[in-house]
Amino acid sequence: MILNMESILLKDNVECLEGYFAAGGYKPLKKALALKPSEVTDEVKKSNLRGRGGAGFPTGLKWSFIPKDAPGPRYLVCNADEGEPGTFKDRELLLKNPHALIEGMAIAGYAIGAAHGYIYIRGEFAAEAALLERAVADARAKGFIGRNILGSGFNFELFVHRGAGAYICGEETALLESLEGFKGQPRLKPPFPAVKGLFGSPTVINNVETLAAVPSIIEKGGDWYAAIGAGKSAGTKLFCVSGPVNKPGVYELPLGVPFRTFLENNCGGLKAGKKLKAVIPGGSSTPVLTAAEALAVNLDYESLAAAGSMLGSGAVIIIDESQCMVKLLQVLARFYHHESCGQCTPCREGCGWIEKLLNRLEDGRGTVKDLDTLYSVAEAMLGRTICPLADAMAMPVMSFVKKFRSEFEAHAAGKCCPPDAAGEH
Amino acid sequence: MPKLTIDGKAVEAAKGATLLEAAQQLGVYIPRYCYHPKLSVSGNCRMCLVEVEKTSKLVTACSTEAAEGMSVRTDSEKVKAARRDVLEFLLINHPLDCPICDQAGECGLQDYYMEYSLKKSRFPQGDKVTRQKRRALGPHLVLDNERCVLCTRCVRFCSEVTKTSELEVMERADHSFIDLKEGKSLDNDYSLNIADLCPVGAWTSRDFRFKSRVWFLKKTPTVCLGCATGCLIEAHHNENTVYRLVPRPNAETNTWLCDRGRMTYKAVQAGDRLAKGVIKNGLIDLEPALREAATRIDEQHAAAAVLGSPWLSIEDNAALARLAAEALKTENFCFDFSAEQGIKDGILVNKDPAPNTAGAGLVKAACGGLSLEEFSRRIADKRIKVVITEARAAAFIKDALKASGARLIVFAVNRAEIPPEAYATLPYASYFETPGTFVNYQGLKRRAEPAVEAKEGVKPLWAVVNKLAVYSGTSLRLDSAEDALKGINFR
Repeated sequence: MILNMESILLKDNVECLEGYFAAGGYKPLKKALALKPSEVTDEVKKSNLRGRGGAGFPTGLKWSFIPKDAPGPRYLVCNADEGEPGTFKDRELLLKNPHALIEGMAIAGYAIGAAHGYIYIRGEFAAEAALLERAVADARAKGFIGRNILGSGFNFELFVHRGAGAYICGEETALLESLEGFKGQPRLKPPFPAVKGLFGSPTVINNVETLAAVPSIIEKGGDWYAAIGAGKSAGTKLFCVSGPVNKPGVYELPLGVPFRTFLENNCGGLKAGKKLKAVIPGGSSTPVLTAAEALAVNLDYESLAAAGSMLGSGAVIIIDESQCMVKLLQVLARFYHHESCGQCTPCREGCGWIEKLLNRLEDGRGTVKDLDTLYSVAEAMLGRTICPLADAMAMPVMSFVKKFRSEFEAHAAGKCCPPDAAGEH
Repeated sequence: MPKLTIDGKAVEAAKGATLLEAAQQLGVYIPRYCYHPKLSVSGNCRMCLVEVEKTSKLVTACSTEAAEGMSVRTDSEKVKAARRDVLEFLLINHPLDCPICDQAGECGLQDYYMEYSLKKSRFPQGDKVTRQKRRALGPHLVLDNERCVLCTRCVRFCSEVTKTSELEVMERADHSFIDLKEGKSLDNDYSLNIADLCPVGAWTSRDFRFKSRVWFLKKTPTVCLGCATGCLIEAHHNENTVYRLVPRPNAETNTWLCDRGRMTYKAVQAGDRLAKGVIKNGLIDLEPALREAATRIDEQHAAAAVLGSPWLSIEDNAALARLAAEALKTENFCFDFSAEQGIKDGILVNKDPAPNTAGAGLVKAACGGLSLEEFSRRIADKRIKVVITEARAAAFIKDALKASGARLIVFAVNRAEIPPEAYATLPYASYFETPGTFVNYQGLKRRAEPAVEAKEGVKPLWAVVNKLAVYSGTSLRLDSAEDALKGINFR
């Protein structure tokens, strides 16, 4: 495993086209256009690149699901609706390396036969969207997107579309609904977007970080990328760290780095006087790990799954002993309740119920019975809805209650928070 | 044709059939709120979750296609638990106001709770989300958003069937509610179907609500006589009062029923319902009215005429045909009605407003008679001096009557039907009170069945005709509607 490797995604001085070009940018596009589209997909398959939005689905395989002989247009959509609490890594990429995304999209568009790509960017990212628009305009001016790219005969137009502020639009089919101008609500699957996606046409939806990794894979080869990381968790991943550490921020690491190493070496350890209590490893929807579990885990898809959680989006939320787990869960519940689209019964009703139960517990009105209800409501939501938002609420609830039950019981007994957490409210 | 098993029973499903449809084939009922066979699949209520072998998550039976070799369970503990959970979720914010809810007795929440849950509420009453109650929306409906389960059947009905798209789900999460889209009003011609479609008490009919508890209602299958489409319907009634009409879904003609058709029962119970005869605007008992009518007919014996009606049943038209042939012994009769037929709004409403143009045509084919043109000419020429017909059919000869001043004797159910030209009016029993056969625009014979009894003294039209013949000195020997058909050779 290469630990002190050169960054693939986060580089210096590539914000503008000149810098990106000087660093060898848009050469991979030229290389890709000389290949057959299927060869491009094969290279990405070979790289073992997996979706960086959270689900970790193999990217090359996703591209190959586009029906070969389907008539009519195909679309490529970039999911830049980064909204999971704790996640801020795509924003960093959009600001620091927008052309990697644009080039990645042109290559992916070529691979799947799409003439149009959309970047669906989170509505709150106004400045990022403006910068991205400019980067797209620059790339278009140089002929990297548009008609007959680099004389290859391949046409690829790229549009930036701003969301309207709903977390649910980060779910790929809700994103498509929103992009089409409808209320952002997930669609029933099947049909999957690869068969019937945007405007009813075959569509590939990839995360910003996923697409931004594509140019390097084409440039240096799938085998090179596959060799980085740990086994099936190939390549590098952006980790965005928040919480009481000395150096919170976004870090690019090869997959498989032990969390302990990451915490000490990259994040500079916990702030003075703070003691690690828990870690949410992959964004607020992933199950929480206790300090002991976290310190024993490696940051890759398989290790985190084995530890009962998920790599998710790579949003590492550090929780120290002074934090109240009930209060934290209440904050999450408020978020998911607010963001539930309201379509499926278990999520629509369950998220609100969970928030109300947590309000009771946090306010000192709760009972142990409420605690049992809380857990069973989460269980009743899990895996029973159209999209994973209900799971995103249920998983933290179940893991918080299971692993920190004594804190919840203390709340139920009328003792509110850990003694040293009082000041944090 | 995939072969699969559902609860251990083998079934061969149609290609593309869903698990819910395949189960239906076996008679296995899977509970549902959002699913409706005539609307797009939405999959939102999660009530139809079933277990498929080798699939970790439960799947929605409404949206999952039946596949070869599948082993499906709709009765496992996992499925039962999921149903209990969904019902609990649906009920936490429900107002539980069944005692004042008009849906009680035919409510999907009540029925499924009894069948699949019986779980005690764990949700504090004070924590419920409140929403707007009893809001009148459009001429026919009231919406109570607190009772809504957000299945979106109403929204999909308006966008997919009437294509008027008045409704939408506003807001998100448990604040979601059904509302009108900006600038719209819920006044499409089919709006009352929404009250039927709504599985709970969210949408109720302004006409029906609080008139009767549904468990008191008796149901009579019959046919709508609002136009030539001839939708199959059910009349819901109690103690000789009809309370509502609902569609009887069938593959041939209708799933839905138009709002105008639903209101056709009103005339039967209207204040201007005729129980007596009318002579020149004055009410008079039936017997003297019949005598008077018969006298006028006898005066003009050779110049009396009979006009059938596309609003009458085949039997009653046949009785009129026999009145002409056997009592009046005249050639002056006409069953010649033609109208452009076909669905005019793409859904159910027919271009032909009369329910039995085709049925009258059968009588014409069997008995002959004059063309409507010739019949009118003879009135205008004063060769016909008295015409016996049904009130609405008089419109066909209105101009000729005006020109000639011929006497008009009509049969009518309501006073409002009586044309100004009428000299005498004889009341008859409506087809909610007496049976009759009708032929719709597709050529399908449909039977109107009596749901209630006519007021004392009000007889079926064939019986009134029978009496009229007796007063004119002939017996047609009609003891039933079917008797009228005797002696007529239907081809």
